[in-house]
Amino acid sequence: MRHLSTSTDTRVKISGTLVTLALMIIIGTLFYHQILRYRFFAEQSESNRIRIQPVIPKRGLIFDRNMEVLSDNRLSFTVSLVPFERVKNVTVPRLSKLLGIDSSEVEKRARANFVSRYMPTPIKRGLGIDTVSILEEQGPYYPGITYSAESVRRYPDSISAESFLGHVGEVSQDEINSEKKKEYRLGSLIGKSGIEKKYDLLLRGLEGTKYIEVSAKGQIVGPYEDKQEIPAIPGADLVLTIDKALQKFVVKNFDSVQCCGAVVVMNPKTGGVLALASFPHFDPNIFSGVIPPDIWQGIIADTNHPMLNRPLAGLYPPGSTAKLITAGAALEMGLVNENTLLKPCFGGMQFGNRFFRCWNPGGHGKVNVYHAIEQSCDVYFYQIGQIMGVDPWGEYAEKCGFGSKTGIDLTGEKAGIVPNSKYYDELYGPRKWSPYLILNLAIGQGEFIITPLQLAQFYCGLANKGRVYQPHLLKQIIESNGDIHDVEPIVSFTLPFSRKTLNILRESLKMVISGEHGTARSLRNKYYEIAGKTGTAQNPHGDDHSWFSAFAPADDAEIVVVVLVENAGHGSEVAAPLAGKIMKYYLVDSRQKELTAQKGTLTEQP
Amino acid sequence: MNLDYKQLDWKLIGAALLLSLIGILLIYSAQFDATSETSQNFYMKQMIWVGLALLVFLIVINIPLRMIDFMAYLFYALGLVLLMLVFFVGHAKYGAARWFSLGAINVTPSDIAKLALLIALSRFLAYTKLRTHSLSRLLISVAITFVPVAMVIVQPDLGTSLVFVALLFSLWYWSGMSPFYILLIISPLISLLAAFHWLAWIVYLIILIGFILVLRPGFLPGAFAVSINLFFGILAPIAWNRLADYQKLRILTFLDPGRDPRGAGYQIIQSKIAMGSGGLIGKGYLEGSQSQLKFLPERHTDFIFSVLGEEFGFVGTLIVIGLFAFICYRGIQIAARCRSKFTSYLAWGAMTILLFQFFVNVGMTLGLMPVTGLPLPLLSYGGTSQILSWILIGLLVVADYHWTEY
Repeated sequence: MRHLSTSTDTRVKISGTLVTLALMIIIGTLFYHQILRYRFFAEQSESNRIRIQPVIPKRGLIFDRNMEVLSDNRLSFTVSLVPFERVKNVTVPRLSKLLGIDSSEVEKRARANFVSRYMPTPIKRGLGIDTVSILEEQGPYYPGITYSAESVRRYPDSISAESFLGHVGEVSQDEINSEKKKEYRLGSLIGKSGIEKKYDLLLRGLEGTKYIEVSAKGQIVGPYEDKQEIPAIPGADLVLTIDKALQKFVVKNFDSVQCCGAVVVMNPKTGGVLALASFPHFDPNIFSGVIPPDIWQGIIADTNHPMLNRPLAGLYPPGSTAKLITAGAALEMGLVNENTLLKPCFGGMQFGNRFFRCWNPGGHGKVNVYHAIEQSCDVYFYQIGQIMGVDPWGEYAEKCGFGSKTGIDLTGEKAGIVPNSKYYDELYGPRKWSPYLILNLAIGQGEFIITPLQLAQFYCGLANKGRVYQPHLLKQIIESNGDIHDVEPIVSFTLPFSRKTLNILRESLKMVISGEHGTARSLRNKYYEIAGKTGTAQNPHGDDHSWFSAFAPADDAEIVVVVLVENAGHGSEVAAPLAGKIMKYYLVDSRQKELTAQKGTLTEQP
Repeated sequence: MNLDYKQLDWKLIGAALLLSLIGILLIYSAQFDATSETSQNFYMKQMIWVGLALLVFLIVINIPLRMIDFMAYLFYALGLVLLMLVFFVGHAKYGAARWFSLGAINVTPSDIAKLALLIALSRFLAYTKLRTHSLSRLLISVAITFVPVAMVIVQPDLGTSLVFVALLFSLWYWSGMSPFYILLIISPLISLLAAFHWLAWIVYLIILIGFILVLRPGFLPGAFAVSINLFFGILAPIAWNRLADYQKLRILTFLDPGRDPRGAGYQIIQSKIAMGSGGLIGKGYLEGSQSQLKFLPERHTDFIFSVLGEEFGFVGTLIVIGLFAFICYRGIQIAARCRSKFTSYLAWGAMTILLFQFFVNVGMTLGLMPVTGLPLPLLSYGGTSQILSWILIGLLVVADYHWTEY
């Protein structure tokens, strides 16, 4: 390649040519701008201003599994102030009169939402067409004021949507600082909780920008032709695993019975959540505009804490529903087998200097593990708990998913507490705690604290041969360009029980419904077999909480239901019947409806 | 060893001095505010900077070239240490940590690093015994450049790292490397960028093939060049489409901050309006102050050329461009006649840095190039930038003075 080596002379020539070329381009562009387009730019600089207008993308919709709308958008108007164009002592007083808010409040909002001198700063959202038409007609009277159509989030159904959908609101300064995401600016809307927050980046899309030419009088001349609009990219639609009809059914039936509690319905084969509800619930639409102070005060002051998202943030002792952990651990450790009979129950048993009562003062006599679960005999579980000890029990409880978050794709989940000797050492001081604390844990009382979601997850494992799928709500993402991504269920962990143990536990759970002395006999039906467990959790602040946790059909479960009713006494009395209704609706009624509907369309055909 | 001041290249010094003075005038105008009593005194500061820069210039032309030669790598190391310091004591200005305070003076280490890299590269390329087209020579010079590039690109300062890369390519070329090789190295990168639009990419590919036909590197290297470009051109859109929208946006905004409509994008519109409305002879000195540009935060630094265009029009911009063209013309002349390789490379590199920054800055104000935050040498407000410019002028002058020496 010798012929390529250049002499100094050629190099000078080549580089000289290149530099000249580059200079010509610069001079040519200058000539074009300063001489040829002089008139255009001169006009621009004299009279008109260029305003930057963000183009807000449509926020993605949220659907249930059958493509029924859970969350959509409605049109509303936002009035904004362009700081650069405001006229002192004119703009703000007139605006405050128009909007009916104090001048000082207008100033405050203008400062709080300030982005740039040339960008509209949102002052008030959620305005109707009447205000906007005044602005449209009398534009010059309001210098520096502009409005934009904006979509506001709407949750059409009162279905305890806040507990999983969450809501959106204006982004706070803290969020901008902490998230470090350039996509947000002051005044833009952001998901504040639930699905809306978790998948905010997907739902929100990408903001575009319009350049608008505004005359000296503040009237919009049109788009600025020298700079192209950057279009907004709409957010992706999300399809959830939620079954809206079921969710509605759950909410309607719970509301008619009780005040407070939680319901979790899951598909054990995927971990998909079919229904998730917290009671009392409220309308998340109140967050879409500015919240009226009286409604907000009412929510905060409510002693039933409607803001507490009970399925994942409510912490309760599990009661007898957790006896399955103790039984499973004992079987695994070989402390008992399915035939082992322990000391008889006479309505309680003496341990040390204290008598520990069984829930049934009449006693259960000698029972094996099947009957112990069927009749929920406390004495049986006291005994195996005592043999087992605190730490092995705690280890099994943790391996069953308690004491740590399930990792569901929602916000605000709590982990709960699985006590062990280290925990008690810290709580009471080393060796200063009673060895009989394990007796309470063995029956699901004491310091053992869980969320309803964790219990549902555990029963999903029991229903599904030990395999626990990650609880989740997102089923499908539909991008604005039409691309569809399905969310594949993933196995989160496996219960620490052998197949044999799992079979024993499942048979015992069936006996709770089918057995002669089962605590939930009322749920027997001709359609399918249920496996489940009642629970009654002692509540130091009032009446006992009522639990029922079940799956059906027992041998090939399609649905897991956990119902918690606060201060409602025995699980068999309140929670179990409600869970039964939910299962019947899902497994029988809704399908029959579908069938008749199909038949209907068939007969309609000629 | 006393300099004979009569023998210095006074035309070159005069051109540079004229630019510095025009700079002060423009900075005064850019910050002039008839309505405000607390007029910012940037022009006063700039006058001090220019004075200081001239002092440094005097020192530079009196330093024996042998000393610069001898200290080259030490100076390079010092530059890197200063860049490191930015990470620990740097101030973030507009989101990028580029400078730190040294008493009352804000030092931008990236300017010092430009000088350090120039000296180190000149020294390496001038003295290495490796063959011009050997791989080791290529890799070592890339390594010398890559370290400071990596350090400024994370700040993030795309503009300065572009200066480093341009310097490397330019010195490769001047030190005798075949233009075809350099083209081969740059072309996949251009391919990567051009591939965003198929038409741009095809035009580019045709130009590339044209180049190869003119340069005639032989069949194999030519085929290799074309195929590697095809590879990158096809790969880029595939990789691009796999990215999420917001990731794409981040990359685009990084490459061209002008896309960010709330920041630099707005500035470019205003800059074009200001310049276009200047017309043939401009609105007159201080008369442009009522224009849009008044509201540009960077008008005395990055967008000083727009002030020039608005107030002095096409004539004014032509004069400044002419002065830069003269400096470039003299720079090439000096580098070409120097007998010492090191001196020649030094002069060539100094000219490259001045010219490259000039093109990028003016291109930016015209919307031809991405907004990179590179100042206009000699004109823009800023101490280190002014001093660096005068050191570079000093290197040109001293190289010219000693051109007969080896």
